[in-house]
Amino acid sequence: MLAQLREVTKRYVTTEGVRDLTLDIEDGQVLGVLGLNGSGKTTALKLLAGLLFPTKGEVTVLGGPPRKNRARLVFLGETDELHAWMTPYDGERFAAGLYEDFRPERYHELLDFLEVPRRKTKAMSRGERGRLRLAMALSREVKLYLLDEPLAGIDLLSRERILTSLVREWHTDATIVLSTHEVAEAEGLFERVVFLRDGGVALDARAEALREEGRSVVETFREVLS
Amino acid sequence: MRGFATLLWLEYRRSRIWAAALLGSLAFWFWGLNQVTMSNFGERAGIRVAIVGVAAAVGLVVLCFMIGRIRGETRRGQYQILLLTPPSGYLHILARVIFALGVGIVYYVILGGLMWWVAARAGIHPGTGSVLQLLFAGPFYGIGAIVLPFVSWTLLLMVFLSAFRLSGPSWIPGIVMVAGTPFLFRWISEGIFKLSYSLPAWSMFGGFTRLIEEAEIETEIMITTQGALVPQEPLWIMLALSVVMLVIAGRIWQEVEG
Repeated sequence: MLAQLREVTKRYVTTEGVRDLTLDIEDGQVLGVLGLNGSGKTTALKLLAGLLFPTKGEVTVLGGPPRKNRARLVFLGETDELHAWMTPYDGERFAAGLYEDFRPERYHELLDFLEVPRRKTKAMSRGERGRLRLAMALSREVKLYLLDEPLAGIDLLSRERILTSLVREWHTDATIVLSTHEVAEAEGLFERVVFLRDGGVALDARAEALREEGRSVVETFREVLS
Repeated sequence: MRGFATLLWLEYRRSRIWAAALLGSLAFWFWGLNQVTMSNFGERAGIRVAIVGVAAAVGLVVLCFMIGRIRGETRRGQYQILLLTPPSGYLHILARVIFALGVGIVYYVILGGLMWWVAARAGIHPGTGSVLQLLFAGPFYGIGAIVLPFVSWTLLLMVFLSAFRLSGPSWIPGIVMVAGTPFLFRWISEGIFKLSYSLPAWSMFGGFTRLIEEAEIETEIMITTQGALVPQEPLWIMLALSVVMLVIAGRIWQEVEG
C-alpha cells in the first residue's frame, strides 16, 4: 500500500473538511478523487501531502508520516503559487536545487510539449502559469503525485494535451491521485474513482468495473452525487 | 544542507528590490550628510550623528519589512510550497536571516564608511584603529545587539501568525504580538541595563573620543581618552535571545499547517 487514510477527520474552526475518511491508495494506479465543491477533495489531498494534520485518525504515506516523506511526493495545489518574477528558467533553478528527483531534460520536454512561454509568470495568463506549474510538478520522478485541480484555468485543447502527458506518466510505476471537476475529459485516465460527499466516501469503484456495467464515470458521478 | 544555496538564491530573488532600495538609500544619506555645513563643529557633528542614527533606524525597519513578508506568501500559496520542500524549517529560517544579515552588514558598513568620509572631509583624522572600528566593529556590534534580535523577532512573529491562518482569527495573536513588541524590548533592555557587567568592556573609537574631549563637547556616552566603553554582555545576551527566537521559528515552521 502506497498511502492510507485511516478513519481520518479534519476539523477546521466551524466545519469538518473530511469525516471518518478511510482510503487505501495502491501502487501504480490513477485514482480520481471526485466530488462536488466542499466535499473534502482538497482536504484529503492536503492530508496526504502533509500540509494538513488530521484532527483524528492516521495518515500514512510511503510508509511514514506524510510531512516526513514530503521530499518523495509531488503535491500540486489549486493555488496559483508561483512568484511573479519567476520565469521557467527560475522554476528549473528552484526545482533542481531542492529536489534530487528533478529531471531537467524532462522539464524542457514538458515546457515544449505544454507550450509554456519563456517569460515571467506575471506576463503569463492563468492557464500558462498552470501549465508551467504542471511542468515543474511532472518533471520530478516520484512514486506519488497528488494533483488538485491541475487543469483549472487551462483551455480545452491544452487540457487534452496535458491529459495525454498524464497518461504517459502513468506508464511508469507512479501513482497519480487526481482531483478534478473536468470529469468527462479525464474519464479515460482513471483506473479507480472515489466519490466524496460531505467529507466521506460515497462510492469507491474501479473505473473498468463501471464501464463493464455500462456506466461511465460521469453518469456515476451524477447518480451518486446528485 | 542540500538546497541551502537554492534557498539563499530564492531569498535574493524575492527580496532584491528591497535590498537594492535599502542600499540605494545610502546615496540619499550621503547627500544629507553633505548638506550639514554650519560652522560650529559640535552642532555639525551632532546633526551628522543624528542623520546616521536615523539611517540606521530606517535600515532596521526596512530589513524587518523585507524579511517579514511570510503573511503575503501564505495567502498566495508560496509558503505552502516551501513547507513541502526537503530542507527543514530551520534551514528556511536560517537562509532568510543570513540574507537579511548580509544586506544589513553591507548597509551598515557603508554607513560607517560615509561617516568616516564626512569626518575626513572635515579634517577629522581619528587614526586607523578608530576608522576600522567605525567601519566594522561598530556596525557588527549594532547588528548583533539590535538588528539581529529585531529581525529574529519579526521572523518568529510572522511564522507564528501564519500558523493561525487556517483557524481564522490570526489578527488576535497579531495584535497581541505587535502591540507587545515595544514592551518586550523595553523589558529586555531594562533587564540588560540592570545587570552588573563583569566582562571587560570594549574600548572603541578612541580617536574620535579624544577629539570630542579636545573640543570639550558634552556627551552621554561614557568616554575615556582610550575611547567609548562598550559592554560585552548586551551583545552576548541579544545574540543568545536571537538564536532562541530563530530556533522557535524554525520549530513552528516544521509543525505548521498550510
